[in-house]
Amino acid sequence: MSENTRSATPMSRQIAEHHSLLDRTLALPRPILVMLSVLLVGFAMSQIAIGYLVISGQLDGKWYDIRDLGNAMISLDGVIQNSEMDSRIASTLAYLIPTLAGATGIVSIVGGWLLIGPWVERRLIAKFQIRQGPNRTGPFGLLQTLADALKLMQKEIIIPSGADRFLYFVPPVAVFIPAILGWAPIPWSPKMSYADLDVGVLFVIAISSLGVLAVFMAGWASNNHYSLLGAMRTIAMMISYEIPISVSLLAVVLLTGSTKLSEIVLWQSEHGVWLVMLIPFAALAFLFASTAEINRTPNDIGEAESEIVAGFYTEYSGMKAGLFMGVELANAILVGALMSTFFLGGYTMFGLETWIPGYLILATKIGLVYFLFVWIRATLPRFRLDQLMGFAWKFLIPVSIALMFLTAIESSILVRWDVPNFLSLGLIGLVNITSAAGLTFVWLRVLFRDTDLSTPPAPILTREMGGLQAAKVLRG
Amino acid sequence: MDSPGIVIGFYMMAGLALGSGTLVFLARNLLHALAFLVISFLSMAGLFLTLSADFIAMAQILIYAGSISVLMVFAVMLTPLASRDNGNTIYVLPGLLAAGGIATFVGFLALDTSWSGPATDFTTTIDLIGNLLLGKYVLAFEIASVLLLFALIGAIMLVQTSSSDQEEGEADD
Amino acid sequence: MTTSTEPYILNIGPQHPSTHGVFRLRVVMDGEKIKDLDMIVGYLHRSMEKLAEERTFTQNIPFTDRADYLAAMTGNLGLAIAVERLAGVEVPERAEYLRVIFSELQRIASHAMANGTLISDAGAWQTPLLYMFREREKILDLFEMTCGARLTTNYMRIGGVAFDPPVEFWPALQELVDELPDRIDEYHELLVSNEVFLARTRGVGVISPEDAINASLTGPALRGSGIPWDLRKADPYSVYDRMEFDVVVGRSGDVYDRFMVRMSELYQSVKIIKQAMSQIPAGAHKTDIPLALRPDEGEIYSRIESPRGEIGFFLVSDGGPSPYRFHIRAPSLINLSLLHELGRDAALSDAIVTLGSLDIVVGEIDR
Repeated sequence: MSENTRSATPMSRQIAEHHSLLDRTLALPRPILVMLSVLLVGFAMSQIAIGYLVISGQLDGKWYDIRDLGNAMISLDGVIQNSEMDSRIASTLAYLIPTLAGATGIVSIVGGWLLIGPWVERRLIAKFQIRQGPNRTGPFGLLQTLADALKLMQKEIIIPSGADRFLYFVPPVAVFIPAILGWAPIPWSPKMSYADLDVGVLFVIAISSLGVLAVFMAGWASNNHYSLLGAMRTIAMMISYEIPISVSLLAVVLLTGSTKLSEIVLWQSEHGVWLVMLIPFAALAFLFASTAEINRTPNDIGEAESEIVAGFYTEYSGMKAGLFMGVELANAILVGALMSTFFLGGYTMFGLETWIPGYLILATKIGLVYFLFVWIRATLPRFRLDQLMGFAWKFLIPVSIALMFLTAIESSILVRWDVPNFLSLGLIGLVNITSAAGLTFVWLRVLFRDTDLSTPPAPILTREMGGLQAAKVLRG
Repeated sequence: MDSPGIVIGFYMMAGLALGSGTLVFLARNLLHALAFLVISFLSMAGLFLTLSADFIAMAQILIYAGSISVLMVFAVMLTPLASRDNGNTIYVLPGLLAAGGIATFVGFLALDTSWSGPATDFTTTIDLIGNLLLGKYVLAFEIASVLLLFALIGAIMLVQTSSSDQEEGEADD
Repeated sequence: MTTSTEPYILNIGPQHPSTHGVFRLRVVMDGEKIKDLDMIVGYLHRSMEKLAEERTFTQNIPFTDRADYLAAMTGNLGLAIAVERLAGVEVPERAEYLRVIFSELQRIASHAMANGTLISDAGAWQTPLLYMFREREKILDLFEMTCGARLTTNYMRIGGVAFDPPVEFWPALQELVDELPDRIDEYHELLVSNEVFLARTRGVGVISPEDAINASLTGPALRGSGIPWDLRKADPYSVYDRMEFDVVVGRSGDVYDRFMVRMSELYQSVKIIKQAMSQIPAGAHKTDIPLALRPDEGEIYSRIESPRGEIGFFLVSDGGPSPYRFHIRAPSLINLSLLHELGRDAALSDAIVTLGSLDIVVGEIDR
């Protein structure tokens, strides 16, 4: 920009001077650049070494096979059995050590995400809103979450008078129970899931229905009309959206023939297809209903900030409110993990999981689903409660059930039909996509037959001023 | 049932079930009683798990703790007397008598039955239950679903007013 | 079989993320529907009108900054025009054009804010608001360049404007005016067919033309209901009669129409600014008036079109340097009176969105 057309507005100047990430990286001082390139080369060489190990099969099943941390646990089990301990102590240890290790792992995942999740979300939303997000506290604003947590912890706990003491203190903690328990059946690698229940799908549904009680307790115990209103809205929404979740998971179980999560993932890897390609409507219904379960935009009417301040956690101050805000994030990645396991193939990636550890693949998929959540949050305004409930009961539930019937028919055909995978699965996928699209169209037409859905006409431009008569003339 | 983990688990769950059950009727506040009831539901689910009945345990959590307690919560919350003291009622003596009678009856039954292990060797219960429900007991299954359908229609008819259609917060699982 | 429900009272405000200022709404609710609505104002009363009686007319101009703090330029302009009509002061041509440019810039900034806050009330997490703030930031930068302040500009003087804009102002203004229509198109596209937005705003808060006139509604709220009444054309002041622009009129009077009226007025404002930039002559930027202007005895009611509606100034002069009576006819207060009727039997969310569409600024309600 030449000098005499150089904009004098500070903001335009600031926009023009902002460089892209690549430019800023290349502008770093020389020693740092050298170190970065050395690290990059080292990383590439290590990948080649790992590749050699993987191909030659030297790594399979060893306890140091980090592609599957379950191997370490299995060798530990072997060591304990072969040692000379009393059998009861041996069995207790063999049970206790993997349990504790797994529990520590899960809690550290959730806890670690709570440390960095708010930063990720705020900077991501800021990118959607053409601003920067936290960038002052610590390098790149990374200490922002810590600063917020410290601020919340040192706030005075104001308990409203007339609040039910017992029921007031429980919800901030109780609301984390589904958020952490839900991670149990999720398989991270072929031998790595904390509690691979035979009824894994039922477990997931049951745990998500426990969240309702904590919300209710929070709303009631605050002795406040706002909170009660928010809690009622939230509970109504959560229990309505449990049904589309159950029906979608039922479609998954029908196709894969098992309620065990690891077998669902294995089915997807054996048939070389992700369930999202076979039953896309169930996947979308699961995604949308999950945003309602975890109270995220566009379904966060329960904590509609601009209307009833904060809904059911209005009366909570300090870290209690912080916990409520944190559990929304923890639930978001839990739903990401569930979505990836059921519909996106879990830890498998069409054979890539022999190279890259399965848990890294799963983590990437969780990140992608989380990005989708943040994208939706930054873009869409929230639905009104009656629109939300109408959508659930009048649209999602009937259409999900109808398509689930179709899936049941298809799964019984699939079991009996003896053709190569891509033919049968391709046909099923095609039929599902077309029927979902067709049914959606038709049903929405039926539902909205007496509302006007066209883009409204543009406003009128005029130069003649007047009152009521002129208004009548304008409208013709 | 021999491994120490299961024994510890059983005693913990049993203690929790008994304790929370007792606190249900000892609590003065109706909503506290409900909270303890939820805990007793969850401990029942734990007891089912010690018996390797995983499907029943999950169904217990899903239906009892997840839906029926929400229903009871709504019922309690929408009645005008929800905040009254739960302790003073004329039903204490008849309640004690009835509960004692039922307890002795069930106790005699429990002590008199010969408890043996499961009839068949099983690895997963959900297969067996599914096969039974759609095989041997299909009539009962269908009657139960028709009953649920009646309940659903009845609930919708109850809340339908002539002008508005708002109160959709019904738990119907 | 009917279930009986008990109405309960919900208190929204005075501190609240969505009431556009300190303003209290006392709502009697039955379930999700509002049965009765009570508006309690006065939390921002700063006794401007009484204080103004102690100060000279020029010293009263900063009060108008703070009355409608989101449209300071038009507030200043209203007072300046009122005093000029009362005292018979002539304004040079250049000053008139500068006044028009800055009024229209202020209109763009204010409408961007109003529409953005409406959408964020509907729950869109401030994303459209921040997009519109891009342009508002540039406009506020222009204000700062000219008169030193972004919000409370205190720019108009009796007999002209305070400062002549510096040399860097005109290229910056040209750049802004060139890119604004594209930006407004961008916002238009994002929102006009967004179904969630349409579902939240169509058919909500409908004001019929008769109700609008009976309630003395003015501004975009009135034009949204279909009545073509804009003071810039109906009762022209400054040099608006030399400008070619259209007045935007809605069709059905719901929230969507008021939103679209404000959105389309942005295009018209850009048009006016372009014309003013091409027609502006060189010259003085204000006439000299005595430090303490003493107009003749008399009274005047003078009105201009602020982004919220008709802002009127009623001045009574007793021949002294200060006004004997200084009253601001605040458009937000008059527009707000309709919320009582609109809120009846509406859902709470709809009432909040309607309140947002009426575009109130509590500063001028309470003064």
